[in-house]
Amino acid sequence: MSTTSTIVMPGERISAIEELAKSKRVILGPGLRRQDDTVVASKAGPLRHKEPSTFWVDNYQRRYIPARGDLVLGIVRSKAGDNYRVDIGAADTASISYLAFEAATKKNRPDLNPGDLIYARVLNASADIEPELVCVNSVGKRGKLGVLAEGFFFKCTLNLGRMLLRENCPVLAALTRELPYEIAVGVNGRIWLKAHSLRETIALANAIVALEQSGCAEIDKICDNLGDFLQA
Amino acid sequence: MNLPGKMDVGKDKLRQMNCEFNPLSRCDGSVMYSQGATVVIAAVLGPIEVKTQNLSIDGSYLECNYRPKAGLPQVKERIREAAIRDVLELALLAEAHPRSKMSVQVQELEDRGSIDACAVNSACLAMLVGGLPLKYSFAAVHCIINEQGEYVLDPDQSETLHQRASFTFAFDSVEGNLLLVQTKGAFKIAQFNDIECLCRAASAEIFQFYRNQVAKYHGRSEAIAEKEEDASMET
Repeated sequence: MSTTSTIVMPGERISAIEELAKSKRVILGPGLRRQDDTVVASKAGPLRHKEPSTFWVDNYQRRYIPARGDLVLGIVRSKAGDNYRVDIGAADTASISYLAFEAATKKNRPDLNPGDLIYARVLNASADIEPELVCVNSVGKRGKLGVLAEGFFFKCTLNLGRMLLRENCPVLAALTRELPYEIAVGVNGRIWLKAHSLRETIALANAIVALEQSGCAEIDKICDNLGDFLQA
Repeated sequence: MNLPGKMDVGKDKLRQMNCEFNPLSRCDGSVMYSQGATVVIAAVLGPIEVKTQNLSIDGSYLECNYRPKAGLPQVKERIREAAIRDVLELALLAEAHPRSKMSVQVQELEDRGSIDACAVNSACLAMLVGGLPLKYSFAAVHCIINEQGEYVLDPDQSETLHQRASFTFAFDSVEGNLLLVQTKGAFKIAQFNDIECLCRAASAEIFQFYRNQVAKYHGRSEAIAEKEEDASMET
């Protein structure tokens, strides 16, 4: 990711990308669109570039827009025929088929009730139809997906969710040194946590929410505070 | 911008602009915006679920609410609301999120002149910070002709007490096209043209303000991101 970034405003033509597009394929991410032969921004924020040819406009949005392949946390809202309706924080509720769970058959339906929390992958996300979720991978195994029982669920900003899921993010590793816990982070800005006791779970949740204000650099300080809090 | 030579310009400077991003926690984007002593808060939600009666399969539905400082919205507020919606409808990239709703709320906090322009500008900033797709940003400028026949740009309330005519123009940021014209009072067509020039020149300053504020907002967050990169290198 390039650190030197120019701020673009909606409607601005980005000729640098147009130049690059003449020689090779470019991928336009969120906030950029093609208008005839020109590339135009539709959001305000710094223009980001990832090698070799991916461009997008960074901005601190709070509303989740579903995209194929995203890992999300959703709350089951209701049962509708062969599908469950799941709230994933987007404009529309998502649907998940009862066959999209591990070892589910027509006879053996998964036991899901309104209010249950599921960790799922977005299978299909087009603006024109409602998003579709799955809880299995391509060979029919659940992996880390599925219903999340017990634990504690809270919302955060989309940015914090993405930051925690980044491969080189030091936060979760640092917290593991303090306490054992299970976590599920959705890119829709939702987090589920479970530790041995309620006290520990809440302490961890507070530590993660605190990151939003301070950034990863202060993770050591937050871990110290966590230790103090648990001893008190 | 070349202004015509013989123009009676009483004041051709905009009042001091200020804004604060995301003062509200529960909406998708909000801004507190002030121009001089006129202050408004604007908030956007979107894309969100839409009622079936408003559902459109080839674009999003735009809802706009304007709330006065006290009491319920009356006719005056409804007109202002319609003006904001008209401008937003032109600027919003509706086809990006079909079957959804974009909702914009503008709350007046203090009206000390130019409230129409202020409300439109705050709506634009709220859309920018909420990350809603726009074709272009837009800026509105208010201007009056006072009793002496002078043009007063972005007047304070005290200056608007004795006015011959008042104008509100909105421009887009890309081609500078007119998006909104509101006029009141008696004026000559030449005066109208002069004032359009004056407002167009002033709108450039507002666009620069938008850009600076967005840069500042992201700059602050970027500082955190850089720190985090340093930290990950150390570990």
